[in-house]
Amino acid sequence: MTTLTTDPPRNGLSPLERAYARLGVVLITPTILVFLLVIVYPLLAALYLSVFQIYTPTLQGGFVGADNYIELLTGKAFWSSLRVTIVWTVGTLTLQIVAGVGIALLLHQNIWFRSLARSLVLFPYFLSTVVAVLVWKWLFNDLYGALNQGLMQLGIIDMPLDWLGSMPNAMIGVILVGAWKYFPFVVIAVLARLQTIPENLYEAARIDGAGPIARFWDVTLPQLRSILTVIILLRAIWDFKEFDLLYLLTGGGPVTSTQTLSLLVYQEAFGLNQMGQAAAYSVGMMLVMLVFMVLYIRQTKEKA
Amino acid sequence: MANVIFKDVHKRFGSFVALEKLDLDIHDGEFVALLGPSGCGKSTTLRMLAGLEFPTSGEIRIGDRVINDLAPGKRDIAMVFQSYALYPHMTVGENIAYPLKKRGIKGKARAEAVQKAAELLQLEALLDRKPKQLSGGQQQRVALGRALVRDPQVFLLDEPLSNLDAKLRSYMRAELIELHARLGKTMVYVTHDQLEAMTMANRIAVMHGGRVQQFDTPDAIYNRPANRFVAGFIGTPPMNQIDGTAEGDHIVISGHRIPFNRADFVDSLADGPVVLGVRPEFVAIGSGDGLPATVRLAENTGHETIVTLELPDQTRISARVEAARKLDVGQKVALRFDPAAIHLFEASENGTRLNLDETPAAVIPMRAK
Repeated sequence: MTTLTTDPPRNGLSPLERAYARLGVVLITPTILVFLLVIVYPLLAALYLSVFQIYTPTLQGGFVGADNYIELLTGKAFWSSLRVTIVWTVGTLTLQIVAGVGIALLLHQNIWFRSLARSLVLFPYFLSTVVAVLVWKWLFNDLYGALNQGLMQLGIIDMPLDWLGSMPNAMIGVILVGAWKYFPFVVIAVLARLQTIPENLYEAARIDGAGPIARFWDVTLPQLRSILTVIILLRAIWDFKEFDLLYLLTGGGPVTSTQTLSLLVYQEAFGLNQMGQAAAYSVGMMLVMLVFMVLYIRQTKEKA
Repeated sequence: MANVIFKDVHKRFGSFVALEKLDLDIHDGEFVALLGPSGCGKSTTLRMLAGLEFPTSGEIRIGDRVINDLAPGKRDIAMVFQSYALYPHMTVGENIAYPLKKRGIKGKARAEAVQKAAELLQLEALLDRKPKQLSGGQQQRVALGRALVRDPQVFLLDEPLSNLDAKLRSYMRAELIELHARLGKTMVYVTHDQLEAMTMANRIAVMHGGRVQQFDTPDAIYNRPANRFVAGFIGTPPMNQIDGTAEGDHIVISGHRIPFNRADFVDSLADGPVVLGVRPEFVAIGSGDGLPATVRLAENTGHETIVTLELPDQTRISARVEAARKLDVGQKVALRFDPAAIHLFEASENGTRLNLDETPAAVIPMRAK
């Protein structure tokens, strides 16, 4: 019988365990490098830039200390954009959830066009934002738009409405397009959860005397609660920082009435060429979003 | 009166026939088990009674009411599911109270009913827990509590014990028997476990292939099975069935002649192929004169030994002997059957029993009311 000579265990780890640990380090290194490069570095760079006054095209400028943050706190731009962002997020998210849950419930029924509808419902989500916005811009067009045409034929309005050029129409418009674009995400997540609710629960509720509405409140909704919390938090984060849809549809206008924080940062950095001030705004925006992020992390931790 | 009547009920799912000509008359206060292998139609029968499935044709009555078109909640029934189907977000108390809440019973009356059910099932200490925090047996009792809280006319139980471990199952079996005795309510119990059916039910409906094969007391089901299916389904091990030929006063099996008393059997029993049925406990193993056989397996369970024997034509049968009996594999033995314990069946696949003793019909005629 041969005797294996082994190193005395260091840190209580056997040689095999240490070999595994080394392999683990090797395997996560690429991820950590990418993470440092695309998340940590830009974050630190933004913090750094935010204490300078910088002219974007040359990236030259001087140190100004907290001036950019004082402008953020005392000026109107940040707060007005924050208010717009909140209106947009709450509005479009509410519509996404209501429409998403409603359509998921519908698609969960045994209806003959179910499989076709399930694929079609994803269409807006998969469509490129640029294409979607171009189509919607035509629909909203005050001179040739199908929307005004339809509303006038139905007799709901008797003059064409200026959809994207006046308030509150522009805000209603972006909220509607946002809801249309992103409700499929809610449908998919809710539908997946609906399919896991045991049929027995509904049968038990029917025997216990619960009608369709009671079954929704007492069986379906409690089962959807956890997934809805996650969806709402995720969609809130994504809607809060939405850029392309708003930028392409209204560009923040009329004037600044649909200028969310993302658009404000962009405008400051590349419209007004004030990279330092833009960095300060983006840091402010990040702090607001931190609230959602903390809630989301808490929620997902609770489940785990 | 809460008797339950199925009258000429058929159920088809598309082209699949789940139930054919179902006739059952369950008496008020009776504990009836629907027993059969999976796919026999027993669950469909229960679900039609619950209102979760609807008969293709025929009539279902509870008492004087035809309930075919009544919603489940209006049938005055309660059901216990195999999976318990407790509402996961509600506490035990809220689960039990739910059927009352949906019937508009409020405040003190509701609280008292919940309390009473909880006491009966020893759930008082668990009322504030969520189902997830309970063991299988406790969840089972909560499901029972939710069923009995509103005092329904008929209890429906769909394999309620099959998710429990063996020990808890035999405990809950006793609990259910007691509960039935105390409440005196009509109970319809679906199971594939013959032990549950035999020990708990007043009468058992043995089902197979969408038809009731026999509807009778456990004693009759065991001692006077209506046909080969029932004989082969009930008993562990089940009744031995051996192909033979009737010749006058003897059954000939592999050239060996076994005498039987022709007067105990129906007149239509003619000479020709029959199936001889005998329970393992009536197979005597000896030597000398008898049906020759070879011992193939002897399984000692502690209090008895189940012996598997091979006949000359390679048919395998089982015998039940006392545990102390020593038999070696390969040993040649001679079998004798107690003539009083011999059953004869028609030789067809699910042949009818041919004995005369109050042979129960496969389909029980409706009782005149």
